[in-house]
Amino acid sequence: MNKTVNINLAGIFFHIDEDAYLKLQRYLEAIKRSFTDSQGRSEIIADIEARIAELFSERVQNDKQVIRIKEVDEVISIMGQPEDYLVDDEIFEDEPKTSYSKKSTSSSASKKLFRDTDNSYIGGVSSGLAHYFGIDTIWIRLAWILLIFGAGTGILLYILLWILVPEAKTTAEKIMMTGDPVNITNIEKKIKDGFDNVSDVAKNVTDSVGSAAKNVTDSVSNAAKNIDFQKQSNKIKSSSKTFFDTVGEIFMFFLKVFAKFIGIILIIVGASALIGLIIGLFSLGVADIIHIPGLDMVEIANAGNTPIWLVSLLSFFAIGIPFFFLFYLGLKILINNLKSIGNIAKFTLLGLWLISLISLIVVGIRQASEFAYDESYIVKTELPITATDTLTIRMVSNDNFSNNFYRNNHGFKLAHDDDGNKIIYSSDVDIRVKSTTDSIATISIEKSADGRSYEIARERAKNINYNFNLRDNILLLDSYLTTNLENKFSDQEVDVVLYIPENTIVYFNNSTKDYLHYKQFEGNIISREDTNHYVKILFDDAECLDCPEEDFEVKVNTPGLKINEEGVEINSDEGNIKIDNKGLKVQSEDVKVNIDSNGINIESDN
Amino acid sequence: MKIENTKAQMRKGVLEFCILSVLKDEDAYVAEILDTLKDAKLLVVEGTIYPLLTRLKNAGLLNYRWEESTSGPPRKYYGLTETGKLFLKELNTTWSELHNAVTIVTSQKTTKK
Repeated sequence: MNKTVNINLAGIFFHIDEDAYLKLQRYLEAIKRSFTDSQGRSEIIADIEARIAELFSERVQNDKQVIRIKEVDEVISIMGQPEDYLVDDEIFEDEPKTSYSKKSTSSSASKKLFRDTDNSYIGGVSSGLAHYFGIDTIWIRLAWILLIFGAGTGILLYILLWILVPEAKTTAEKIMMTGDPVNITNIEKKIKDGFDNVSDVAKNVTDSVGSAAKNVTDSVSNAAKNIDFQKQSNKIKSSSKTFFDTVGEIFMFFLKVFAKFIGIILIIVGASALIGLIIGLFSLGVADIIHIPGLDMVEIANAGNTPIWLVSLLSFFAIGIPFFFLFYLGLKILINNLKSIGNIAKFTLLGLWLISLISLIVVGIRQASEFAYDESYIVKTELPITATDTLTIRMVSNDNFSNNFYRNNHGFKLAHDDDGNKIIYSSDVDIRVKSTTDSIATISIEKSADGRSYEIARERAKNINYNFNLRDNILLLDSYLTTNLENKFSDQEVDVVLYIPENTIVYFNNSTKDYLHYKQFEGNIISREDTNHYVKILFDDAECLDCPEEDFEVKVNTPGLKINEEGVEINSDEGNIKIDNKGLKVQSEDVKVNIDSNGINIESDN
Repeated sequence: MKIENTKAQMRKGVLEFCILSVLKDEDAYVAEILDTLKDAKLLVVEGTIYPLLTRLKNAGLLNYRWEESTSGPPRKYYGLTETGKLFLKELNTTWSELHNAVTIVTSQKTTKK
């Protein structure tokens, strides 16, 4: 049974067997290639097609008969091979463009790089390149040798080309390698050339044998030499070829082993990542449903209010899919004839990955936008203290939350208040002290929080709970702030600003140390160093009343001036001054002053 | 140098002259020209004639008209133009001269031998 094709040849309809059709098509194609446009190619082809149609019509008795390969062969034998169509250009010199030149110009475009294993010493790279660049192989080989001496780059390049450039296996590839267009004529020529070569060689051998026989006396050795030389070169060629073939095989073997090794690594990496992700997803999902306590931490941080299961699923896809492909790649390397997962599956996964990635970015932006607005809510209260009394400031912690004063900046914890409600607990409290000319001290509590909008941020700031207490001139400040869980963690913080009248003496307890900042930080006048000391508030400054005097240590040791623990010594040409624990000694050319345990002694030359 | 090439060149050289000669008396379509040439064993395969016909037509020596055919596609009937007729006359003289020359040369050789 044969498939048939319907064709229209010069306006006549034919049924034609598929193989016959292909042959006819190749034939017409080959003829087309033998002409140029200037020769009136389309007209010639139309004429030829019309003639072929005529010949077919003669061979077809009725409409239902099919043209078989036999008829096509007959017609081709009548019409002649593509060579027969060629008009010999030496006869027609007026022809502007020759079909041959056309051939050679069109060929350069279709030239492809292959390894010519027919003319190879190692892998056929050189001869392949020679074909490609249209130069003699010897130049390429010389270039290789030069490159090998050039730090061995040649070897690496050769191996690379050997691996990357395909071998010319089929006749069509061999013709493409030399740059001739692939058509029947050329293929036939190539095959014929092959036979010719063989017959030439055979002829040469018989010739040389014949001549050797003729000139028995002198020429025997010569001819033998010739044959030997020929043989020798062939032998060298073949032995070098087999040697390098073996090397190539070994190299390929190691390459394969290496590839398998990489495949195994890829599988391990991909599989472990996938398993980890699945476990993570599962546990997170389950935890979300049954409410494992520790997970609330995530809930607090999740200011964007995106469902956790969604985020985890998206992350699972966004991270898992690339690892899956890695895993798949590893499998593919390891197993040669692995069944493909199919393009639909591939593109679905790719799409899923992209969607997950985009969604994650959106969620991320939403989360970030939760912190877009920073608003504060300020409460000012007067502190009924008198300027003459010492004001002591202490931090108070809540036993429910934390019992030390360690301050964790921007940190937050989940805790339960006295009623057992879940609250967010943070120690982001700062104290600043400023002087005021008023006679009354004021405390200003600045609560601030972030939010997606001004309103939300302000509402969250308002919802911060922070307390202080003044009792017997002791100001007790909470060392923490709390807020309801529903407010999420949105960078809530409290700034306590104390406006203290001038000349008031304050005592900052050690517990405040972590909550104070540096001097002059936003008008702050009390620094960490001032804790545990009595400090007098001045105008925009503070004076420590019981701080130890700072050690003053200067050491100068020059011929003219010496300052050290022992005292001061000044030496010059006119005289010297010396002050130490013994007393004062001043000497000049005219006067000597001496103050020591003996009394004051002034000597003068005058 | 291959004998086939030389033979083909010789044949192709006279082919144009012969095509014009076939059309000397009456118009003919390709198959008829081919038949005549094939009978004379001047042509082995048909392919050769198509580029030649197109060349001659493009050179203004031939013209053609279409005629419907009962058995196949429409046929191209070729005929000589006035230039073609003059051209043929020229070629005729050249051919007789050439023929004479060749006969003389070849027969001389045989007599010498």
